Order: sequence, then structure tokens, then C-alpha cells
Amino acid sequence: MAYSEDHIALAAEYALGILDADERALVETMMAGDQDFTALVTAWEHKLGVLNQMVGSVEPRPEVWQKIRVAAGLSETQPPMVLPEAPPPVVPPPVVAPPSPTAAVADGSNVIRLANRARRWRQLATLTTGIAAALVAVIAVGVYRPDMLPDQLRPKPRTQVVAIRTPAAPATPNAQYVAVLQKDGGSPAFILTVDGVTKNFTVRRVDAAAEPGKSFELWLISDKLPQPRSLGVIGAGDFTARPVLASYDADTIKAATYAVTIEQAGGSPDGKPTSAPVFAGKLIETVPPAAAPAPSPPR
Amino acid sequence: MLTPAELVRLIAAIAKGDEAAFERLYVATRAKLFGVVLRILRRQDLAEEVIQEAYVKIWNSAGQFNPGLASPITWMASIARNRAIDVVRKRSEVSIEEEPAAMEVAADAPDPLARREMTEELKRLLECVGRLEPDRQRLVLLAYYNGWSREQLAAKFEAPVNTVKTWLRRSMMDIRECLGLG
Repeated sequence: MAYSEDHIALAAEYALGILDADERALVETMMAGDQDFTALVTAWEHKLGVLNQMVGSVEPRPEVWQKIRVAAGLSETQPPMVLPEAPPPVVPPPVVAPPSPTAAVADGSNVIRLANRARRWRQLATLTTGIAAALVAVIAVGVYRPDMLPDQLRPKPRTQVVAIRTPAAPATPNAQYVAVLQKDGGSPAFILTVDGVTKNFTVRRVDAAAEPGKSFELWLISDKLPQPRSLGVIGAGDFTARPVLASYDADTIKAATYAVTIEQAGGSPDGKPTSAPVFAGKLIETVPPAAAPAPSPPR
Repeated sequence: MLTPAELVRLIAAIAKGDEAAFERLYVATRAKLFGVVLRILRRQDLAEEVIQEAYVKIWNSAGQFNPGLASPITWMASIARNRAIDVVRKRSEVSIEEEPAAMEVAADAPDPLARREMTEELKRLLECVGRLEPDRQRLVLLAYYNGWSREQLAAKFEAPVNTVKTWLRRSMMDIRECLGLG
């Protein structure tokens, strides 16, 4: 992509390090929403980075490593282990007293490893920002008044209304959930909407393009599950709709973090993420159960 | 120091959660990264905090490292240096008087390598920096190595901040042209 001289100079100034705090924040915001601009900045960082070859080495104090181990969530004394394969759940996991990550640590070495892994993933879940809130409003319009949005932005009809008129089981409130998946509080890349009753979800691509030969894969990360569970590869179109959440219970779905990783084309080969999440977010309830008339079970 | 290829393998292992590989990477690279951030921060405690955050980020983002774009040490040093710059920019500006007199020499190679030990990329970059006017060379190198702000550089060079800004910008575009960047 061609950038203006100002953009190129700004990228260079960022990499050189002479921008003030506000300007740096601006560049970081631009990078979060623009992969090409990120590549421009990174290219400058790498060009200038060779200058560090001339900087002398200085040994940090030994305690620094211990602090890094703790901060990174590494295991205390366990050697690294291979994660065991875990099939996707057919039966929803029990809702009663889910083990906390710290409680799980007492169980055994594998669990320590898994708990750490899970913690590391959860650390990547980002808080939703004002931008996210604004987008939730857009989504809410999409849910209630899809006619107000242009064609491309309209949600698939099946997500919007599931028989509003019939009274029904209080156990299945007709809540709608939205998660804005973003990177470090940057601009949103994907918007995930989940129907509280059918558990159908849709993913809408906002501002993210997979590199050639790569796919975006969506994962569910939960305290209740030992490792991230794949929700499938996000399709090339703007929408991807899938019923795969049906095997998870409502609490797990509501509390989970949703994350997107970049995987080889077609998705991770072994059902486990091969890289750290690029985008992540949590669900926000956009239609409170009390405010929405409860529907009958869809069938 | 491990070879770049060995570091690439370690980072690939770290991306899969290999803690032993992470420790080996730390042992192999900590002194270089600490040297980079200490030079900018000038305080042991701040440099230790930054180095800690940098390695946590390296641990968490190892999967994003692309060996086709940068050498491992360049990638890691960028992470650490960015964090250090963020910290110095958020602190109230340190007045130039607080800088040790040793900074005078910093415009030149802080730890001159024998030319044969330099990578081709470094030689090329230094050739391009060398084509700038002498004052601008020092400006660019002080900015990079010491993490000085425009205000600090303006005080040092006894020039208005906006002039320094223009010089730096022009210098970067000259370097870009010299390197043949698109």
C-alpha cells in the first residue's frame, strides 16, 4: 500500500524513538487498525535495530529472571510438558463449582502446565473500550432494527429474532451477546454475536485480512476448560455463522474469552492454537434477559 | 551468544510453550537487551522493570515472530527498546543537565565493533547515516541510542524544537532514500 510521506516519516520517527507520549499513542492506535502501517513501522524498527549491535552488553541482576518467570506465569519447578489431546466436549461441563486455576494447581503436574497455559491466554483478553461500546450500539441496531443498516451490515435473519411472542421457560432467557475482538484496546477486528437461546453465533469481519495461505481461527477460552477450544476457522466472507457453541453451557459461553489466532490455511492442524491470540474479547450482554420477552425453545 | 538460527529455533519452541527454551533465550540475550534499555533509561531499577516486561511480551508473542522480517535479536531488542522509550516519554522530561558528561561521546559508536564483526545490514545503515551532515548524524544516533526526546536534542544542539523536528524528519527520509526503501 502506498503511504504519504507524512505517514512514512511518522513511522520512522516512531521507530527512532523521538515522538512524545501522545504521538506514540497515536501511532500505536494507527497500527492497531492498519496492518500495512504496522508493517511500515516494523520495517523501520528492523532497519534501525541493527544499530543495537554496537551497544555493549550489561548483565541484569539474577533476580530479574525470577520476576520474569512469575510475570510470565511459568511453572515453578516443572519441566515443560506436552499438552495432552482433549476431545471437544460432547456433554456440557458441570456448572457446579468450577475449579479455579489456582485450585487446579494442586492437582498434578499436567494441570499446572495447563493452568498456566490457560492463564497466559486469558491475559490476552482485552477490556472493551469506548470504541467497543459504540460498536455494541451498532450491533444493537442490527439486532433490533436490521432495516436501518445497509445490506452488507445486516445480520443473517436467523440470528435476530427467535419467536419473540411465545412465553417460555425462564431458564433460557433470550439474551443477545456481543464480543468485540480487538488487539490491545485497538480498533475492532471482528465482532462476535451470540444468540443466548440457540447459541448460534456469527462473526463479522470489521478490519482484518488474513495473509495469503493463512486463516483466522476463533477459540473459546474458559476457566472451566483446560485449553482453548476451536470454534472453527473464520470464513473469507464478512459473516461466519455456526452452531458449534451448542455443546457448551450458557455460563461457560457467557464468561469465556473469545480469541482469534492466525493459523495455517484451513486452521490449526491439531485442534490447538499454534500462536498467541491476535485479537480477543469477552461477551457483553446487549439484550438483558429481563427486558426481552422469552421465546419458546426453537423446535 | 547463540547463532541467529539457534535463536530462531528457540523462539519457535517458545511459541509452543517450551519454558526451557525461554530460559535459554533469556540467558543468551539478556545482557544485550539490558544494555540497550539501560542506556536509554539510565536507571537500574527502571531498566529491570522494562526488561521484565519485555521478556514477558517475548514469551507471549513468540508466535508472531517472523524470521523473514528481522533477526531474532533485532526483534527482541525492538520490543525492549519500545518499552524503554514508552517509559522515558511518560516520565517528566529529564533535564539535559542530569545527563552524564559521558553522553558526549554517545553520538559515535557506543561500543565500536571491528568492522568485520558488523553485519552487512549495519554497514549499509551506517554508510547511509554517514552521508548525513555531521550534526545530523549525531542527532540521529543520540536519538536512537539514548532515547532522547526532541526537547532534549534541541537543548543539546541549541536549536528550536521545531527545527530539530525538521532535521530529524529530513534525516530519516534521506536514510530511507539511501537504503532504497520503497
